[in-house]
Amino acid sequence: MSGTRTTIHFLSILIMLVWSAVLLYFYASGRVNAYLPPDGIFRDMVLIAGIGMGIVALFNLFTTQAENAACCDHDHGHDHHHDHDHKEGCGHDHSHDHKDCGHDHSHDHADCGHDHGHKHEGCCGHDHGHAHSHDHAHDHGHVHSHDHGHGILEESAWPGRIAAMLMLVAPLTWAAFNTPDRYSANAVVNKGLYIPNYEDKTNADKFALRQDKPANATKVDRAPPAPTPMPATAIPPPEQFNKAENVAKASPPPPDKAQSYGSFTLEDLKKQVPQSKEGNFILEVPEIYYTGGDLEVQKVITGQFVETTAQVLPEKVNNKNGHRLRVFRLMVQCCAADARPYSIPVDFGKKAPDFKEMSWVKVTGKMTYKKEGDQVVPIIEATKIEETTAPADAMIY
Amino acid sequence: MFFAALPEPSRIGDVLMAFLSIVFEGAPYILVGTVLSGLIAAFLDSRMLDKVLPKNGVLSTFVAGVLGLVFPVCECAVVPVIKRLVQKGLPVSCAVTYMLAAPIMNPIVAVSTLTAFKEFQKVTGWETIGNATMTISRLSLGYAVAVIVGLIVLRFRPDQILKKSVLDGIAKVGADGQHATAPKTSFNAKLVHAMRAAMGDFLDTTMYFTIGVIITSVFNTQVDQSILNDVAGNEWLALPTIMGLAVVLSLCSTSDAFIAAPMAVFSMAAKLAFLVFGPMMDIKLLFMYSGVFKRRVVLALLIGLFILIGCLSEPWMMMIQQLATK
Repeated sequence: MSGTRTTIHFLSILIMLVWSAVLLYFYASGRVNAYLPPDGIFRDMVLIAGIGMGIVALFNLFTTQAENAACCDHDHGHDHHHDHDHKEGCGHDHSHDHKDCGHDHSHDHADCGHDHGHKHEGCCGHDHGHAHSHDHAHDHGHVHSHDHGHGILEESAWPGRIAAMLMLVAPLTWAAFNTPDRYSANAVVNKGLYIPNYEDKTNADKFALRQDKPANATKVDRAPPAPTPMPATAIPPPEQFNKAENVAKASPPPPDKAQSYGSFTLEDLKKQVPQSKEGNFILEVPEIYYTGGDLEVQKVITGQFVETTAQVLPEKVNNKNGHRLRVFRLMVQCCAADARPYSIPVDFGKKAPDFKEMSWVKVTGKMTYKKEGDQVVPIIEATKIEETTAPADAMIY
Repeated sequence: MFFAALPEPSRIGDVLMAFLSIVFEGAPYILVGTVLSGLIAAFLDSRMLDKVLPKNGVLSTFVAGVLGLVFPVCECAVVPVIKRLVQKGLPVSCAVTYMLAAPIMNPIVAVSTLTAFKEFQKVTGWETIGNATMTISRLSLGYAVAVIVGLIVLRFRPDQILKKSVLDGIAKVGADGQHATAPKTSFNAKLVHAMRAAMGDFLDTTMYFTIGVIITSVFNTQVDQSILNDVAGNEWLALPTIMGLAVVLSLCSTSDAFIAAPMAVFSMAAKLAFLVFGPMMDIKLLFMYSGVFKRRVVLALLIGLFILIGCLSEPWMMMIQQLATK
């Protein structure tokens, strides 16, 4: 290969090795977990790709001198049995302009006027441009259909090449060094923290509470729900049932909002949700969020004590008296870029305590549902809130 | 990266988060696609494609649209693959149709769409298969649009559609109408060729991909999505807005259904537009396409797909919903 092509060859190998290294590092260090979900092959593909890139790069490195079929595998439509050789430094320049298209095809390459920038060393010597008839009616004067892997790096001049190479390595490596592995409050807000939609029916079975219940139990078959017995445990009776308007609010919201998904009792709740030693139901914020769309679960869970670990941000919706904070978890479908915050308000009944934005907190309180605007909002009436350490996976997958 | 503590979150950090996550998700498939394209470049005999495809241009375009079901490929991998196939003699119309259809007409996307829209539960048997309205609409509209574009491309010559560098790589047909037979080369030489082509294709594709992902990441994390709520209700703005969102978010077709499904402010027709337009045209694809097609073709594709899908989504969705048994 000529000097330029060799340089490009080695630079390409280097760039691929950089990509390989970044991918392998993130996989090996476990930091990839902050970016991709554990289900499916997402994370493993990073390992496979890192190894694959390394293999392709190293293969090309070790075959630098080898015979390349691209040189011989031309469909020029001419015969390949010339045995002239391309003299040193001689080559063709594809990118010069054959304005007069008057280049002489029948010269021999000793006084070559073209510069390909490559040599066909180690390759069957063949004739590029003479002693055969071909089509002059195009702007280069000849068409070389060989496959030298034309690409940006080969086609452009050095400024273009350098720009391309920078674009290939600079963003990736800079990002690798500077990424915080977690979002800031700004991103969480932009991703829709304050525009929740509690009647979201399309994902109703996302929450653990419904895992073994069919989402479309037909109304005809269902027996009327058994009366929910109050548990004989130490959970205090929910005070809010003493307040008529809260009971009214917890009753079925207007049609086309939350739906009925089949009977659900306190027993079901206890079976499906773990409880802390104080008897609090341990739920994730998305699970609580989705109860906003399920009538039966709301009836059961209203007044129960729940606890959840989440991140905290100020509440900007329906919070004129400053009694509320918003807690959220980010949920990821297939990569951190599609993360969405699932959030609910936490009401303290008095001025909300100050927490540094984005800190991790454990909230304990009673579940309640209030109609605000045209939505039924799940709210935790907090009895306790404390800072805590972040869970192993900051985002929920 | 190795020794210092993790940087604090920041606006730039958010962009980097989104950037790296899309890169980690997409780069493996680019590698797969470019290794495949390298192998095609080195090992696929151009005469093979002549034998296999129907001679009739229109018919072969229709066939190309369903090939995604047999040869599934994601949007990141498809561009280098079709570039090589074209260079091996695949008609450009078929290549374009396959390129647009394959990221939608494939089994993985069908399953993820069924799942995201909870359509598995609605389909209890063959009679109720019509209930999977979003999945059926998405796959059928995707196919239709891909074929329409392919048929339009059929009316043009390759040199009007493809970039010069791609054209130059096309195997030439000799004066006697036959592809010249390449001299016999060893397997090893072909493998070397394949790997070098793969490396070149990988770097090309990745460069365009990187530019696109940077832009997407900025929009993804720096633009407040509540803006959407205001436009979604407006019947004239809803469809263009959601299609614009698809372009800017540059999501993978295997999982974009999970993003579209919960967006309750948008109608089903709008979500259909999102799910058909997105896999065909987004920022990263825009850049990847410009490595293969002429600039005006990429622009025409952008505008044409926008108009075509924008106009067809509503009637298409209504039509498919007729099939659903209540």
